[in-house]
Amino acid sequence: MPDRLLTEIQRDALQEIANMGMGDAALRLSGLLDAFIELSVPRVRVVRAAEAARTLAAMTGIAEPVTAVRQGFRSEIRGEALVLCRSAAVADLGTMLGDAGDERADERMLDVANLITGACVSSILDWLGRQPAFSPPELLGDAILLDDVFRAGMLVWDLALLVEVSFALEHQHFRAHLVMLMDEASIRLVRDALDLLVHDL
Amino acid sequence: MTADAVTPTLADLVVERVGFGIFVVDRDLNVLMWNRFMADHSGLDAAQVVGRPLFAHFPDLPQAWFARKVESVFRLGSAAFSSWQQRPWLFRFEHDRPITGGVDYMQQDCTFVPLMRGRDVDAVCVTVTDVTHLSIMQREREEAVVRLQEYADRDGLTGIANRRYFEARLADEFARWQHRGGDLSILLFDLDHFKHINDQFGHVAGDAVLRVMAQRVDSVVRSEDTFGRFGGEEFALLLPATPLADAMRVAEKIRHTIGHAPIDVDGVVVPVTASVGAAAARHGLHGYEALIHDADAALYRAKRDGRNRSVAFG
Repeated sequence: MPDRLLTEIQRDALQEIANMGMGDAALRLSGLLDAFIELSVPRVRVVRAAEAARTLAAMTGIAEPVTAVRQGFRSEIRGEALVLCRSAAVADLGTMLGDAGDERADERMLDVANLITGACVSSILDWLGRQPAFSPPELLGDAILLDDVFRAGMLVWDLALLVEVSFALEHQHFRAHLVMLMDEASIRLVRDALDLLVHDL
Repeated sequence: MTADAVTPTLADLVVERVGFGIFVVDRDLNVLMWNRFMADHSGLDAAQVVGRPLFAHFPDLPQAWFARKVESVFRLGSAAFSSWQQRPWLFRFEHDRPITGGVDYMQQDCTFVPLMRGRDVDAVCVTVTDVTHLSIMQREREEAVVRLQEYADRDGLTGIANRRYFEARLADEFARWQHRGGDLSILLFDLDHFKHINDQFGHVAGDAVLRVMAQRVDSVVRSEDTFGRFGGEEFALLLPATPLADAMRVAEKIRHTIGHAPIDVDGVVVPVTASVGAAAARHGLHGYEALIHDADAALYRAKRDGRNRSVAFG
């Protein structure tokens, strides 16, 4: 079980960081969107990349097609972030966010994914002492199955840090799932950073 | 780039010379820096733009959208992006591609990058990359795929649908009929004594006859029908939402269209007639193949009964 890659203490620390990171991200997104944003307490799992689809399906109950956006992040700790949501939910984004005029649904989805990735990944890595830069978001597909999200060229990453978080905006509910994929070297750096953090407490 | 910079640093020179646009705005969207790429393409140099609100010179920019992008970078401290695939261009710049390929202005990928001092975002740097060549390549590729798809669906000799495409459409319509009911008919027809035409006038003439005949029929079918070549001298017409009685009227129309005048092949007059079999989807048919089989049986009867006639199955 790859969760064993992290000790119980490290895993708890990561969960704690993710909690704080989401709180921070929610605050910043609320300010930006001028509306109360709620990010759920994230559920954190570390799994082999090959098992990511199955684990995520079990965690989220998603069986239907998803819209998936991928984005690279790089610092010493580097990897790829995926934002997934049920394809049917993408249409609601327009009404949720108010519109800036002439945006198409796919542009809006890319924007929202970029905001979620930027806020959440930065917040988590910030606790680990890293400031990542991001590559442009890329639509993997607007109606693809979870299996296919992780199949196409994804297996360069050994491990997936699944951060399952829902993103809700006042009365509406838009559920997005964030997944961070990393290779073993980056996970090791995460582990070291967690140790340092735990040690400092 | 400030005008009074006397000895530009290496970084200044790079910003000046790179092959993409770089400019910087503050939180109120005043321009703080404007590189040469931006100056060359906008016709406004740094001295005219720096220190002024961006929208003063570029009122056509999507202002609410642009302001939101910049604000998100200030608040989140991470980059925002814009891709030509969603938003073809931000600035109305000419592109320098000789083949426009339907591309109006320079296609642009833009990034909005936070410039940090410590933990605070000091300003936002916007980069504008010319990706016109990518968009042209993509367009050409899409057009090539459409053309290939056309070829894959067409019969090489006559230009009408080939059997594969015809059967795919028939399978769709049959499935729809199974779900929703209604009417669905098909016609199968072939040229009478085509073997004699080939033997008497040669294969080139035979091919010409098939082509002319396909054109004649194609000109009278409805746009919602699918007309295909089934192989050899055999053709098929798919008639959605059409009961058998109406299909028989179409059958007669097609028979007359084919046979009303002999076909002229390089001065040789070739008389042609056709036999038509019609069948309609009915309960008890388990697949579209069975419908083809019914129509084929009707066509066989039309042949047996003396040719140049239409026969309905049943």
